Amino acid sequence: MKFYYCLLFISMLAVSGFAQTNGILSESDTVKGVELNEVIVVGKSRVREINESAYNAVSIDARLLHNTTLNLTQTLDRISGVKIRETGGVGSDSQISINGFSGRHIKVFMDGIPMEGFGSSFQLNNMPVNLAARIDVYKGVVPIEFGADALGGAINIVTGQTRNTYLDLSYSYGSFNTHKSNISFGHTTNSGFVFRLNAYQNYSDNNYKVKTKLLDFSSSHFSTEEYWFKRFHDNYHNEAITAKAGIVNKIWADHLLVGITLSQEKADIQNAYLMQIVYGGRERKAKSIIPTLNYEKKNLFVQNLNFALTANYNKVRSNNLDTLARRYNWKGEYEPKGTKGESGRYSMSEFDSQNAYITANLNYRPNNKHYFAVNNLYGNYTRKATDAAANSENSTAATFMKRINSKNVLGLSYKFEPNKRWNVSAFYKYYKVNVRGPVDISTTTVAEYAEKEKSFSTAGYGIVMTYFLTDAFQVKTSFEKAYRLPSERELFGDEVLETGDVSLKPENSRNLNFNISYSNVWNNTHSAYIDIGMIYRDTRDYIRRQIEQRYGGAFYTNHGKVRNIGVDCEARYFYRNIFSAGGNITYQNIRSMTRYTVNETYDINYRGRMPNVPYMFGNLDVSYNINNVLGKENVLSLGYNMRYVHAFLRDWINEGATDVTIPMQLSHDMNVTYTLQNGRYNISFEVKNIADEMLYDNYSLQKPGRSFTIKLRYFFFNNNFK
Amino acid sequence: MSTKKQFFKKVFASAFTVCLLLPLVSCDDKDSPAPKTKGSFFLSVNGESAEYIIQTDNLETGDLSIASNSKTLLQSGHTWIFNNNPSVAIGLIYQQGSPGIGLGFGVDSDGKLKELANFQITSRYTSYGFFDRYALTSVGGVTPVDANGNALKDESGNERSDGVTFNFIDLKGGLSLQEKTITTLNITGNGEQATLSGIVDMGNGEFLTGLVVSQPKDPNAGGGSSTGTITYPDSVWVAAFDAELNLKRIYRDDRISYSSGRYRSQYYSQIGKADDGNVYVFSGSYESTTTRPCGVLKINKNATTFDPSWYFNIEEKTGGYKFRKVWHITGNCFLLELYNDFTLSATGAATQYGIVNVETRTFNMISGIPAKDKIINTGLPMAYEGKMYFPIVEEGKYPAIYIIDPATATADKGISITGATSLNAIGRLTSQ
Repeated sequence: MKFYYCLLFISMLAVSGFAQTNGILSESDTVKGVELNEVIVVGKSRVREINESAYNAVSIDARLLHNTTLNLTQTLDRISGVKIRETGGVGSDSQISINGFSGRHIKVFMDGIPMEGFGSSFQLNNMPVNLAARIDVYKGVVPIEFGADALGGAINIVTGQTRNTYLDLSYSYGSFNTHKSNISFGHTTNSGFVFRLNAYQNYSDNNYKVKTKLLDFSSSHFSTEEYWFKRFHDNYHNEAITAKAGIVNKIWADHLLVGITLSQEKADIQNAYLMQIVYGGRERKAKSIIPTLNYEKKNLFVQNLNFALTANYNKVRSNNLDTLARRYNWKGEYEPKGTKGESGRYSMSEFDSQNAYITANLNYRPNNKHYFAVNNLYGNYTRKATDAAANSENSTAATFMKRINSKNVLGLSYKFEPNKRWNVSAFYKYYKVNVRGPVDISTTTVAEYAEKEKSFSTAGYGIVMTYFLTDAFQVKTSFEKAYRLPSERELFGDEVLETGDVSLKPENSRNLNFNISYSNVWNNTHSAYIDIGMIYRDTRDYIRRQIEQRYGGAFYTNHGKVRNIGVDCEARYFYRNIFSAGGNITYQNIRSMTRYTVNETYDINYRGRMPNVPYMFGNLDVSYNINNVLGKENVLSLGYNMRYVHAFLRDWINEGATDVTIPMQLSHDMNVTYTLQNGRYNISFEVKNIADEMLYDNYSLQKPGRSFTIKLRYFFFNNNFK
Repeated sequence: MSTKKQFFKKVFASAFTVCLLLPLVSCDDKDSPAPKTKGSFFLSVNGESAEYIIQTDNLETGDLSIASNSKTLLQSGHTWIFNNNPSVAIGLIYQQGSPGIGLGFGVDSDGKLKELANFQITSRYTSYGFFDRYALTSVGGVTPVDANGNALKDESGNERSDGVTFNFIDLKGGLSLQEKTITTLNITGNGEQATLSGIVDMGNGEFLTGLVVSQPKDPNAGGGSSTGTITYPDSVWVAAFDAELNLKRIYRDDRISYSSGRYRSQYYSQIGKADDGNVYVFSGSYESTTTRPCGVLKINKNATTFDPSWYFNIEEKTGGYKFRKVWHITGNCFLLELYNDFTLSATGAATQYGIVNVETRTFNMISGIPAKDKIINTGLPMAYEGKMYFPIVEEGKYPAIYIIDPATATADKGISITGATSLNAIGRLTSQ
């Protein structure tokens, strides 16, 4: 009964207009279907097109956030239904979830290229928001253009594609000795030569204070009290550069670009998965090289037949170093110990991975009513571990053998749009994986491995539609039967013979969305926007590793069923280009629907809430612009952001696990930006976590307290098409 | 116009209310919490992933629910060992390349759980036991260092891997933990190195441990274990150490293979002390190259060599099954965990159980427990008042305790833990 009150309350929230963020206004893109008097929108922007598409998609204009010091994950955190969980400061691990799906269940793309193999040195958690022009999030139902087995949704980061000339330089300095800088440059000559460059750098000591227990060397005991300590081994830096060059507007190509990204990072590791376990010398490093190719030709052979091709190759090397014969405590003191490796496992391990993706897309629009598209993605992934000091407990000879995973996803779609009021599309996806890896073929106690090959295929489908009830009211609904294919390790098992006989199914989910939105403008002065999205996810056949003593070893099996019924609400109000307030709130009721355990006993967690997943969270933001401050075309903006996450349990409540809780999180940020000469010069000042709250996204892993940052930015833009 | 104004008023009023109310919202549908258990028996159980402590005074009747647990543990996957005097449960843990937080528990006079200590375990462990005033663990295959923290190297310049790291947990010193490392290169005089398996207190200030003697392991071979190629599969070595880890003597014999049950990186103890103080050294003949059948030798109380006249061929009695784990129950009786097939493989399944009496030289399979192909997993048994309390998960059932009578080799089913997926260990705590 209480659940219905909760739902009722949530819907009230939605109606009352608490929702989505952004910070800065002044551009009409953030308001769907709204044209403010100051800005005349000619044609729909891509942002608006995605927001108004039949998909349950949110597109945000990242350019509006270019004066902030946000990275891309922190930007995503402000989108309804999306939750980011960070383990620490700059460069720390972050997990992205879309309506409760995370990890392998969601896919991230950059300009349509899968980011899976980019390596940790070129990832969303270290990319400045300035790298992106737009961020698109597809919840549950993913268009075929993103050829991937994304069970729960996809994110696409769209970088600057403009043919205008621009130069964007920024530098910021903040608490914990944090330096960040970014250069973006783009130029297209009259003869059609294009050059684009983007480079960024992050550096931080991450020496914020945490409250935890102290290790006493003589007894190896932890203190019972917790004390405040400054982090002393958490330096992080990374550098990345992307250069693209090519031609545009030729008879044989609308554009052809080749590019390369080089990136590297080095991170000290300060603590283990529980804050009280501290390190003083562990490190990780990563490097990657990513060449890319983009080709696009519109009106190929016939009018309205468009072809696009993207290809990339990634080579990543990552290292984990743990070589000190020492033990540290949180005061930064250490004592020597008799063996190498602070973690108890001496390591200088090195992993090499390589992958390549190629995506081809062909679409045809014979007239305004019909639209056909076909998309094919082929990916190939190779991974090899080379560990010089391989004392790891579960490694075997097979650990060092090569593993190859290749994947092909073919998508077909058809869209019917009889008029501007409504449209419907249907799509079909055919997935195939081919894996090669080591399999145990031993008959004695001495393990013996042989390389084996296996393939697997399945098909998914979906339908999306939208209808404009009036100019202001839009309804959408979308459905997809989505899949995640098993990986090579899952198909072959953990070096066990028996898995050859087990027929694994792909993880699958029936994802249904229903959205209703309203947006309007009054008197060319006030405008408002509300979107309520209801989601339903029925996810089954999770692939899990199982160990049974009667069989020895481990094997993989399909087990588990989870249902999520949730609501994402967002709302925003604008007063001219002076004031805006908005926010979002997500409530997701994610419950285990697994009636029986793998061992066929009644599952005590049946209908229990999924543990360690935030289930209610939201953002709120307010911004106020004072125009013409100390001169025309100069704007002073004041902004406020609030982030809220309801408390949640780490473990199953049905098991009586009420001891380990991630407490309620409420934090407030403020910023002041002074923009001169219509955006050419910008100075921003930010205070994050004003109240200096102890913030946790994960149990015991405390995030930074209050911090101050100043950012200087120069932005030059020349419209080449005047 | 006025309706529009009203609309905005409403929007703002409700948005404001929401902000105020938000922190107060709770959509938890908490089940009424089950009463927390207490009692002298200490059970470690796992649910879907987390580990819990359950207490009870009765292991024979009265099923318990996992939801009535006394405590949710921060980490999951402890190895529990129990000491009598002082009465303490010690939870050892080392996880995935990261130190663990060891736990010490006792009970108060009401039978309520009392946390005694939290200590860091930096070194992983493959063997554990009690010796003198210590709970002791060991792990082999570690890289020893010199005083400057640089790795010791062998003659050809490769980093050595013959270190063995011990954790000494002082039972009478508030469970303080000390880490000590020794080297084992040439410990048996043949130039090879050793991994240690099992810890048995001799009662005279020394402990015995089985040695798995091998060539250094090829660092690229993997395999998880710290053992390289076995040159002498038909020999057994046992070492005696004192509390300072001085090597007191080596026991050697050629009648059985090395004394250790192996599974991936684990080395299961195959030595045990009978109530009369004689130590029995078993060998499950794990090594595929050994010609020796599974058997057992004896070290008489305080003796400095194996008893040359005493040998018992167990493989003959089991009908050809080899064994992996050995636990002492009472008197001269031991519980054996046997492999399910005659030929072993590295991932071998082992869910058969038998009782061996080393005095009468008899072996009997246990009746009254689930069939070998119905056992999903088992836990660490407890010897108590002449019986063995053994946790077993049977196919389609919740974990249960089977009470084994070694005299008759029969078992009765005791309590089950509803909602649990495994019962990891049982021990007994008394208030002191």
